[in-house]
Amino acid sequence: FLGAGGGNDIQWCFSQVKGAVDDDVAEADIISTVEFNHSGELLATGDKGGRVVIFQQEQENKTQSHSRGEYNVYSTFQSHEPEFDYLKSLEIEEKINKIRWLPQKNAAQFLLSTNDKTIKLWKISERDKRPEGYNLKEEDGRYRDPTTVTTLRVPVFRPMDLMVEASPRRIFANAHTYHINSISINSDYETYLSADDLRINLWHLEITDRSFNIVDIKPANMEELTEVITAAEFHPNSCNTFVYSSSKGTIRLCDMRASALCDRHSKLFEEPEDPSNRSFFSEIISSISDVKFSHSGRYMMTRDYLSVKIWDLNMENRPVETYQVHEYLRSKLCSLYENDCIFDKFECCWNGSDRQNCNFLPSPLCSIVMTGSYNNFFRMFDRNTKRDITLEASRENNKPRTVLKPRKVCASGKRKKDEISVDSLDFNKKILHTAWHPKENIIAVATTNNLYIFQDKMN
Amino acid sequence: MLGKGGKRKFDEHEDGLEGKVVSPTDGPSKVSYTLQRQTIFNISLMKLYNHRPLTEPSLQKTVLINNMLRRIQEELKQEGSLRPMFVAASQPADPLGDNFREAQPAFSHLASQPLLPADLVSTTPLESCLTPASLLEDDTFCTSPTVQHDGLTKTTPPALQPVKDSFSSALDEIEELCPAPTSAEAVAAPAAAGDSKDHPSESNVQKAEGLSENRTAESKLMDPLPGNFEITTSTGFLTDLTLDDILFADIDTSMYDFDPCTSATGAASKMAPVSADELLKTLAPYSSQPVTPNQPFKMDLTELDHIMEVLVGS
Repeated sequence: FLGAGGGNDIQWCFSQVKGAVDDDVAEADIISTVEFNHSGELLATGDKGGRVVIFQQEQENKTQSHSRGEYNVYSTFQSHEPEFDYLKSLEIEEKINKIRWLPQKNAAQFLLSTNDKTIKLWKISERDKRPEGYNLKEEDGRYRDPTTVTTLRVPVFRPMDLMVEASPRRIFANAHTYHINSISINSDYETYLSADDLRINLWHLEITDRSFNIVDIKPANMEELTEVITAAEFHPNSCNTFVYSSSKGTIRLCDMRASALCDRHSKLFEEPEDPSNRSFFSEIISSISDVKFSHSGRYMMTRDYLSVKIWDLNMENRPVETYQVHEYLRSKLCSLYENDCIFDKFECCWNGSDRQNCNFLPSPLCSIVMTGSYNNFFRMFDRNTKRDITLEASRENNKPRTVLKPRKVCASGKRKKDEISVDSLDFNKKILHTAWHPKENIIAVATTNNLYIFQDKMN
Repeated sequence: MLGKGGKRKFDEHEDGLEGKVVSPTDGPSKVSYTLQRQTIFNISLMKLYNHRPLTEPSLQKTVLINNMLRRIQEELKQEGSLRPMFVAASQPADPLGDNFREAQPAFSHLASQPLLPADLVSTTPLESCLTPASLLEDDTFCTSPTVQHDGLTKTTPPALQPVKDSFSSALDEIEELCPAPTSAEAVAAPAAAGDSKDHPSESNVQKAEGLSENRTAESKLMDPLPGNFEITTSTGFLTDLTLDDILFADIDTSMYDFDPCTSATGAASKMAPVSADELLKTLAPYSSQPVTPNQPFKMDLTELDHIMEVLVGS
């Protein structure tokens, strides 16, 4: 990645940016989740105002082979509204915490979106025809005087401008006392799990009035609470297997066949602490903010505050690979604790497919992971070449087809030209959410209120 | 660090709060480790108690901060058994610990381990504790035996009068609030007076502010368990909302309005170690036990005691 060399290296170019231009960020516009659907044709974002915006990729223009289809707004709808919990006298935020797409089964698209308390199944369907020629109604909907009807006709469908409608088909509510942090659809495509700080529930997509509790780590005495669930995901192939991560840096793999309540894990993944790096903040920075299985299901990736770790499901005592995202922050942890940045929850993602083509060369082992950082930087780690790159999502780089320039942070000592010193980093500009197209080298990177789309340079 | 591209000079010699991890067993750096720990403790308390969101606070954040506080508490508890930390309270013939325990049923839903001030009550005999200045000045204050520190008795009161800088005015404020300024203040006065020649008076103000902030922070330990995880199931006599609103509305928390660009804590961390070192040097002849910057806790206990009187209506 570093530099422009290498036959298989991806060269990322700016493609598009969505969202408000001005620096004044409206709180409702803060992007809180980004997710491609299974084909990559649709890209959904959720924001703090409870809205979901779906972008659709244009059909590739066969004549313009040098660029892939652009993403344009396809549908916008208000998924969640703010609510008030009268018992606790607290507001329930409408912020969308996660969106997960269902695989497409018919003409319509389905996705699950969740805020802190309620999960909703949305159906997004297209309407491009409408019936015309009713006997009793005028075209504008007014009823005709029946006495004026002299002939009968059969209404017919006529084409109309495309309308995309989103309608809530299921509402899964009242199952979580604590804040939902994850939802994950099972590989059986019939069930899904939702995880909050202390519990994980299993749902059937068709049934809204019942869910099964499969993990409960709430202690009898809440004063003894020292650990919470931070993320959970179903295994991509085994419908009985899921993992959940904790605030203490552990991952537990559970098998639902073992018992109804999976309080006892099948596997516990934990890396022993490095004594040379011990500090007051060791526990906080070990808290896992995201966990994602690889497409094959053989590996899983976890993100903690400073690093990304790759785990082999067959080895519990340590990760097989560790990538430092921004190690230069280790000496700043006290300040980052002060200003709460240490609690930022960065997500991570794998490249589209384990059989992803890098630069058109078939590469069955191409495996890259991506995650965000501060100053609108994001990082990619190539697991095969062991090279990594830091790029920036900024409107200053918005010339399409110009390769993005790699960035470098100067940790200490003399700052070279074009390097940025740690103290110049803007900690308000954080990239928490990134997504990788399932089939192509297209990535979506969310800054605070803008969505950037980058593509690899097509020759 | 939070400004948009705002630059701050990267001080490569900066230590104290940032930089290498200081092991608690290092000799001279033990002070900075303790200071670091104290600062993190205070920051943690501020986070738990100053957060007044309309929505429920993040349970993960609360748990992590709580774990931090508990860890520091544990460390202090272990260290507390090695050195004297406190003296008798203003209640005659009644150690503060008992007062505190009387109050505890009001907070019955608290953690099983007692909160910090009780933990820090020393189990060492009173004779080896430092004498509060009040004992030296006010005969009605306390009848606890504190006969060993006559040297201190003679030297400190005169030292208090001639000091007219901002530190002594801060000291006066503290005296108004609690009748028993501790020897921390008394000893710190000559130390600070010594400092005021070499350092700007700002350093004394910082120290006083630091102490008063510690008192504030420690007072907040009286609140229900940090975070009070079950917000609606509070069975405590007072919720922390009520307590804060009644008692702490006026407390100046400007020291904790951290503006990273001016790096207030950075300044404090640079200033405070000087005072802490001075304290150590000054106190060494008077006590065979090492003294740490935990001196502020003494004052906090009397303040806590005062608050408890108000609450319990005694």
